[in-house]
Amino acid sequence: MDQRLFINLSPGNTYLDRLTGKTKVRLFFAFVVLLIATWDMRIILPTLLVTLAGLYSLKAKLKSVRIIAVVVVLSNLLNLFLIWVIDPDYGASVCGGSTLLFQITPHYIITGQTMWYFLVRFCKLMATFFAAMTFIQCVTPSELAAGLYAMKVPYKVCMIVSIAFRYIPDILRDFTNIKISMQARGMELDAKRTGLWQRLKQNVMILVPLVVTSFDRVGNIANAMDLRGFGKNKTRTYYAEHEDGRGDGQMKFFYLALYLFIAVVIVLRIVKPGEFLVWYPF
Amino acid sequence: MENKKKKSIGALLLGKWDTKTIVGIAIGAALFGVLMDFGGIKVTTNTSLTSAYVVLPIVGALFGPLPAALTGLIGNTIADLIGGWGLWFDWSFGNAVAGFFIGLLPLYGAKIDDGVFGVKHAIIYAIVTIVGVAIGFGLVTPVLTVLFYSSELTVTWIQAWAAVISDASVAIVVGVPVLFALAKRNARKTGLSKED
Repeated sequence: MDQRLFINLSPGNTYLDRLTGKTKVRLFFAFVVLLIATWDMRIILPTLLVTLAGLYSLKAKLKSVRIIAVVVVLSNLLNLFLIWVIDPDYGASVCGGSTLLFQITPHYIITGQTMWYFLVRFCKLMATFFAAMTFIQCVTPSELAAGLYAMKVPYKVCMIVSIAFRYIPDILRDFTNIKISMQARGMELDAKRTGLWQRLKQNVMILVPLVVTSFDRVGNIANAMDLRGFGKNKTRTYYAEHEDGRGDGQMKFFYLALYLFIAVVIVLRIVKPGEFLVWYPF
Repeated sequence: MENKKKKSIGALLLGKWDTKTIVGIAIGAALFGVLMDFGGIKVTTNTSLTSAYVVLPIVGALFGPLPAALTGLIGNTIADLIGGWGLWFDWSFGNAVAGFFIGLLPLYGAKIDDGVFGVKHAIIYAIVTIVGVAIGFGLVTPVLTVLFYSSELTVTWIQAWAAVISDASVAIVVGVPVLFALAKRNARKTGLSKED
């Protein structure tokens, strides 16, 4: 469980790590909006490669990403399979036409358009996944707050996000402690030896102390923040935010160009929508 | 004796935005995110019988509906980020709407902080929760799915109703006993009043 979470408390040493929080958040936001806005493989494929390259440039924790990537790929494939089960000719409505490739039963057919749509959708989701993984691994909670603040989010909301991210490792620590002490009292947690209902009950038995200890801590943290004068002024600055480095200058050109490109993509989609959602090359 | 006065509905809706509320939302969102990813049993893709829904009534009871909504919104985004599901803002906003309704507790007189939570409140809570979750996932999420992702609706529809059933049942079946327990725990404090 611990390996599957990637909350960094201090920035690493790679090119992406050294960027300011502002640049990181803006870049990530640009990729997310672009990936939501487009269904065009000609845009999605380069984005997929760029995000993958970003993830590889971080080196450090690639092993834990590999485990989670398998889960994500499988659940996406399952999702696509569900769509196919519900409507095997789904591609006709988004790409136009249905070129029959293969027929299982008269209803369950495999068409070129449906497969193309699935490929586009799969690449789109994987690119989002890579972007999210890259972002979460190179940003620290404070940098995230600073970056959001630079995007004009009210600083109290930035603080919420930052504390939430900072608190996740603590939850995991508490969870492990509670689990171990429950086991020490003789609770059987092995999935093979207990039934579903038993497991649900045990989940609740771990959950309640976890939730209660977490909320008990609210008062302490709030007092500590009040003592340091949190919320007294209208604006705030961030200790974690350093001056722009060379990478920030380069990335600024990149994300400004990207935002311009996204604006063009969105305006084109509104002004001149294609006949179908997905561009089909064949 | 300021705080003894009845607060206006508007103030109850917004909640009090002091440091405690901010920390409460943050911790609620972190719990929500972690439980969403790891504290559940899969129902369909994108939805699971998740224990995360216990967090929303607690945040709602302690801080009010808007904080509960923010907890759902930020918590679900965190779950997406750390779980690697890709970002589904349609679901985040669905969670926010559901959280808002679940967090309406102070509006009908349930004051967990003062130990006030009876059978009457539990029944209202159950009804409001079902309505809220149904609006959140049955209406808001599918509409946003079409707007944001122009994705197919059939699968979202199945996921949405699976989410309505599983989340509402968790929020009620686990949430109500937890609320009773919290109220009972806080009832001990009732004889005391805060001096200013």
